[in-house]
Amino acid sequence: MANIDITLNVNGKDHRVAVRSTEMLLEVLRDRLGYVGTNKVCAQGICGACTVIVDGKSTTSCLALAAQFDGARIITVEGLEHDGKLDPLQEAFMKHGAVQCGYCTPGFLMSARAFLNDNPHPTRTEIIDALRGNICRCTGYKKIIDAVEDVAARSAR
Amino acid sequence: MSSIDDGEKFALGTEGEQRPWQDAYRALVQSFEAGSGRRYVGHSVPRNDVLYKVRGKAKYAANIALPDMLHGRFVRSTYPYARIKRVDVSKASALPGVRCVLTAADIPDDRLKVGSLVKDTPILAKDLVRHVGEPVVAIAADTLEIAHAAAALVEIDYEPITPVLTPEEALKEDAPRLHPNGNLIANLSNAVGDVDAALARADVVLEDTYTNEPIEHSYLEPQGGISFIDPDGVLTLLVCTQYPHFHHKQLADVTGLPLEKIRVIQTVIGGAFGGKIDVTIECASCLMTLKTRRPVKMLLENEEVFSATTKRHTMKIRHRLGAMKDGRIVALDMDILADGGAYSSYSLIVAGRCVVHAALPYDIANVRARIRTTFTNNMTAGAMRSFGIVKLAFATESQINKLADELGMSPIEVRRINAVETGTKTVTGQILHAVGFKKTLDAIEPIYEERKKALAAGPKKPGVLRGLGLASLGYGIGYSGVRNPSTARIELTEDGIVIANCGTPDIGPGSDTALAQIVGEEAGVNIGRIRVVSGDSTKTDDSGPTSASRTTYFSGNAAMLAGRDFRRQFSDLLAKKLDVTPENIRIDNDQVIVNNKPMRFEDACATLGSDVKQIMAYGVFNPDSELDFVTFKGNPYPTYTYATQLAEIEVDIDTGKIEVPRFWAAHDAGRIVNPMGAEGQIEGGVVMGLGMALWEKICRSDGYIQNPGMRDYLLPGAKDAPTEITTIFIDNEDETGPFGAKGVAEASLIPVPAAVAAALHDAAGIRLNAMPMEAETVVKKLAARKGNKP
Ligand code: FES
Ligand code: FES
Repeated sequence: MANIDITLNVNGKDHRVAVRSTEMLLEVLRDRLGYVGTNKVCAQGICGACTVIVDGKSTTSCLALAAQFDGARIITVEGLEHDGKLDPLQEAFMKHGAVQCGYCTPGFLMSARAFLNDNPHPTRTEIIDALRGNICRCTGYKKIIDAVEDVAARSAR
Repeated sequence: MSSIDDGEKFALGTEGEQRPWQDAYRALVQSFEAGSGRRYVGHSVPRNDVLYKVRGKAKYAANIALPDMLHGRFVRSTYPYARIKRVDVSKASALPGVRCVLTAADIPDDRLKVGSLVKDTPILAKDLVRHVGEPVVAIAADTLEIAHAAAALVEIDYEPITPVLTPEEALKEDAPRLHPNGNLIANLSNAVGDVDAALARADVVLEDTYTNEPIEHSYLEPQGGISFIDPDGVLTLLVCTQYPHFHHKQLADVTGLPLEKIRVIQTVIGGAFGGKIDVTIECASCLMTLKTRRPVKMLLENEEVFSATTKRHTMKIRHRLGAMKDGRIVALDMDILADGGAYSSYSLIVAGRCVVHAALPYDIANVRARIRTTFTNNMTAGAMRSFGIVKLAFATESQINKLADELGMSPIEVRRINAVETGTKTVTGQILHAVGFKKTLDAIEPIYEERKKALAAGPKKPGVLRGLGLASLGYGIGYSGVRNPSTARIELTEDGIVIANCGTPDIGPGSDTALAQIVGEEAGVNIGRIRVVSGDSTKTDDSGPTSASRTTYFSGNAAMLAGRDFRRQFSDLLAKKLDVTPENIRIDNDQVIVNNKPMRFEDACATLGSDVKQIMAYGVFNPDSELDFVTFKGNPYPTYTYATQLAEIEVDIDTGKIEVPRFWAAHDAGRIVNPMGAEGQIEGGVVMGLGMALWEKICRSDGYIQNPGMRDYLLPGAKDAPTEITTIFIDNEDETGPFGAKGVAEASLIPVPAAVAAALHDAAGIRLNAMPMEAETVVKKLAARKGNKP
């Protein structure tokens, strides 16, 4: 199988990787580049646990062929914090108890981050709609939605 | 691997990685502290692993890689029931990169079978397969791709046998015997009073049959683990499990190694709900490590989680309820037939719990309960949140709602008349204490009345019917009727880290945090300096599994006692060092007060220097819970939790779709250790309960699971959850619990389906006795009703 050379910019750092044409972005991030904060669950695009931000858009990396992303800028959960300071979403998730087992958490954080970047002042209904592609089995969603709403409310208009 | 050597919970990383975040956590905790009263217990302290989790640093099993690691994979049965004629692994073994191919022939017969309660489950199938997905061969290879390729080269010849697919078939005289002792896993019954006589003289007798479908736990993290031999020659298994000590003992049996040559450490766990309590990869992975002397990692795929791990039992519950006109229930008779699937797993525990809980939370004089659970060739049924009681509650609570309608009484009033109270004697003869059930009814009543008025008066949405329904529960905390002690040991480091070793692992709900709160409260130290080590077979004692909502109550009591012991030992030691009397030393608010002069806790530890090693505080909690499983007499649980929940639903007349915009849950869980954490448990349980009530089902046909994976299994998402879930913790303290606490986790889901069913009847006048209450069924029933009433 022919390998394809691509460059991925992950959390601000360039990585050159030779990927197989069938390889998914999730596998490249986790197994090749060591960004294991992004979790794999269904590998069917259903649960959202593998969500990362690709060129500003939230993307389920388990269904995205890595070869398509030459030159893309990717943000994973590891890229949310800056200089030891957490993203407001990470703070809010802690404060509101939006994390239990935490397996869904990176996916929710990335979906919410991409969404708030586009729409910093959403309604609660818009938030719920934005998170429809992420499954959480532990929390019942309320505290996750509360956390995102809190960040939206606190960001300057 | 230094993190393993220095004995830390592997999952949270090395000391160096931990320190800065430990400090950050301490600061975070400080901002949550209240000024007075209890400092930690009763406060919404953030979980102590939350910083790792939001940063993507939690070491789940999937995220751990070791040098030289092999990747393991099972080859699984493709038949529900078949004789294995031939297993040929020669081609698979010959594939370059394959390091180990394991079959039943490699395991001595007396070590082949394992199991949580009964050792009836082969690590790898021998001669017979009893369900689709049963592991037959295990492979370890240099890469996962090679392991997959090798799996495809394994040749297995089967001779199919007609499978037994329902309990009814399993009970037939001429049914094939699926196991040497026959097809019954459990056959338990209990009776008090004279049920037949009471039914005969009752004013109202209601009879119905209630059913459910199998459910997948659907924890997000698949089962997985890594086994390796550590530098001291100890076979070590890092695994996401609810019960590391069980695997520890079991691996000793399977490998023949002494216990001290085996160590099982629980990794950070991505949800469990009863689904990570049995054996999946543990034995095969360790055996392959012993063969190859290399680390082996095995992770299930989503499809395997759905098709080859335990499911919720399906039960057919025939239920009769007899009552007088004034609302007093005089008789309850239930007969349950349950499908236990291919192996016994936790079926016996589920059955025992059903019999003991038959009447709860009601005081009924004449009760008869019988349950028979059979083997079949379906996927094994095991433990899942509530151990069967959610199905019981669906039946009993639906019956009680029907009774209320029949008698023209409020569902709250009927419950109040029959409610257990402090001093009530249960069907097992136990005298209940600290019962807050009626208070949960009192808490829901005004909301119920108010919403009833609001729905009657409120604007009607065209095509939408709205309704309210409620249901209650009583639930025993801990194992049923066997002693299940918990222990805690506390040590101290020179730089003031308090290490609390507790055996019951945190499986997601935040029990480590609750235990830290209890230790901090009792010992007087900031919980930011407390490190809870749980779920490590070397570091901690076997304190039972994290299940049955038992950790807060059992391990919490042990932690409280250990905290008390710690305080005493610390004061004695410091007193000796400083030559003062121990009575003149207090620890409070993270300060040590010596003769009225405060010093920082760290400074006191520095003063003690290496003497801190002398501190070995210990607490054990072993309540007297015993039950005779023949007479069903005794005290099966040390305490019980109670709740009443109210659902408000909207039914779309055209599509039959049910939405649940509002939900209220009033719980008596004793004193709440961590309100935010407990609320999270309730909210999660309610949504899981809605999933079971309305959408979720594993579809089976001829022993095959038709929807093995999340794509075809409807899990509730953010849009399906109620927009408002209100949790009410009623004020009730159980003096036998740590700081008055009982337990939370499972209770939250139990009343949900019955509450939704009642709301559906209120909204649309139809009653459904089968879960899930799917939209198509609702539409059909609505059409039928229209047909009846032109
Ligand atoms: S793992 Fe990608 S959506 Fe589930
Ligand atoms: S916190 Fe466990 S799945 Fe969301």
